[in-house]
Amino acid sequence: MHTQPDSGDPFGFLGHSGEMASLIRGFDWSKTTLGAVETWPACVKFTTAMLLQSPVPIVTLWGEAGVMIYNDAYSAFAGFRHPQLLGANVREGWPEVADFNDHVMKVGLAGNTLAYSDQELTLYRKGTPEQVWMDLYYSPVPDETGKAAGVIAMVVETTERVRAEKHQKMLINELNHRVKNTLASIQAIVSQTLRGVDTKEEASAAISQRIMALSRAHDVLTDENWDGADLHTMAQYALDAFQPAGREAISIEGPKIRVGPHAALSIALALHELATNASKYGALSTRTGTVAISWSIEPSQTDDDEVFKLSWEEQGGPLVRQPDRRGFGTRLILGVLPQELRGTAEIDYQPQGLRFVLRSSRVAVSDTPLVAQGG
Amino acid sequence: MKILVVEDEMLVAMLIEDLVSDLGHQIVGPAMRLETALELAETIDLDFAILDINLAGKQSFPVAHRLTERGIPFMFASGYGAAGLMEPYLAAPIVQKPFDAKAVASMLAKVGME
Repeated sequence: MHTQPDSGDPFGFLGHSGEMASLIRGFDWSKTTLGAVETWPACVKFTTAMLLQSPVPIVTLWGEAGVMIYNDAYSAFAGFRHPQLLGANVREGWPEVADFNDHVMKVGLAGNTLAYSDQELTLYRKGTPEQVWMDLYYSPVPDETGKAAGVIAMVVETTERVRAEKHQKMLINELNHRVKNTLASIQAIVSQTLRGVDTKEEASAAISQRIMALSRAHDVLTDENWDGADLHTMAQYALDAFQPAGREAISIEGPKIRVGPHAALSIALALHELATNASKYGALSTRTGTVAISWSIEPSQTDDDEVFKLSWEEQGGPLVRQPDRRGFGTRLILGVLPQELRGTAEIDYQPQGLRFVLRSSRVAVSDTPLVAQGG
Repeated sequence: MKILVVEDEMLVAMLIEDLVSDLGHQIVGPAMRLETALELAETIDLDFAILDINLAGKQSFPVAHRLTERGIPFMFASGYGAAGLMEPYLAAPIVQKPFDAKAVASMLAKVGME
């Protein structure tokens, strides 16, 4: 450092021209227990000059009161509290962590060091409480006699990293949860498909198609970060594989609506079951049959909610009749689907083709995101 | 026994229905959302309940509170295992998803004998 013995500038030792250097120059230090700059011991001057040069947030706390002198990097860390912290006593400067700093002062002035890794504190840097994490290093600053005149603190904020780690942990938990639930869904598909089939070949094909239907629905939801899906996109994905080559046998029509992840998954599986049935016995088993999928959203007569109605109408297929047994598909679309969507579902086996109508509400089909705790 | 099934995923709800009815019990539900589950837990005569923890983003603990008040035993079913539980249910019976049918059966048998 370049000294200027003849300049007569009592702050010449600062050797820096940043914001903090000029605030230190302009401050009335005689109001503090540190006293006017002319009375500062060499250790205070030297430490102040040194910390002003550092890119690491550093604050020094002088004397029993812990009078604060800090650098530009620390002023950025202090937020709204800067510049009032300059020259303040540390316990009053950060009243929300006064106990913490009291301990720091006692240990530091006794000549000992402290180190904290990812220390969590609640600070008021923006006028509101804020949870922050920091790596904190405290050490005594000795005077000429070797006795601690103050404490120097390096403050490395780690909030962003800690948050990222917590978020990652949450995502891994959520992934594990979703894997377990998916395994349970596969278990459900296998065990229920086996109950309703006559041959191994039939079972194998049906299981694999149902797993593929689930997988396609997952694809759509993954594209949307699992917080819902556009119903039209969901229906298209579910039914693409059933569209006969060379003609548009399946039409999908309805106003744009975003459905929640659970409803999306359930409607996709229901459409898969309906389409499977149509290709085996209904309109999609012939060269001319068609299926029209449509939905509407209309004001409710009874409450503030809106009525969501989805229909599946087959035409031009073979003469249909009610099946003798209630298989997986029937149970899914007539049993659990209306339970899930808190509505009603009906199948009408009309001679010209099967007709399925689902009635629910906008609230029920817009369920909340899957990402949450528990489950 | 009359067993309330609370589970938000359709396929899994069907699986639990099968597991439970194969053991000769009667199903109430499945309730797939918190509101429906609470209503059933408050109004229906039940001997037991199987509770998924996460119901479309809401936790099922309020259902557990209500069942506890009515003195109806229950168990949780969860993809997290016991890690998904919170106070005061840390020691509550739990079955892990996917399901071990024998574990479900022995849990129900225990309740049936009490």
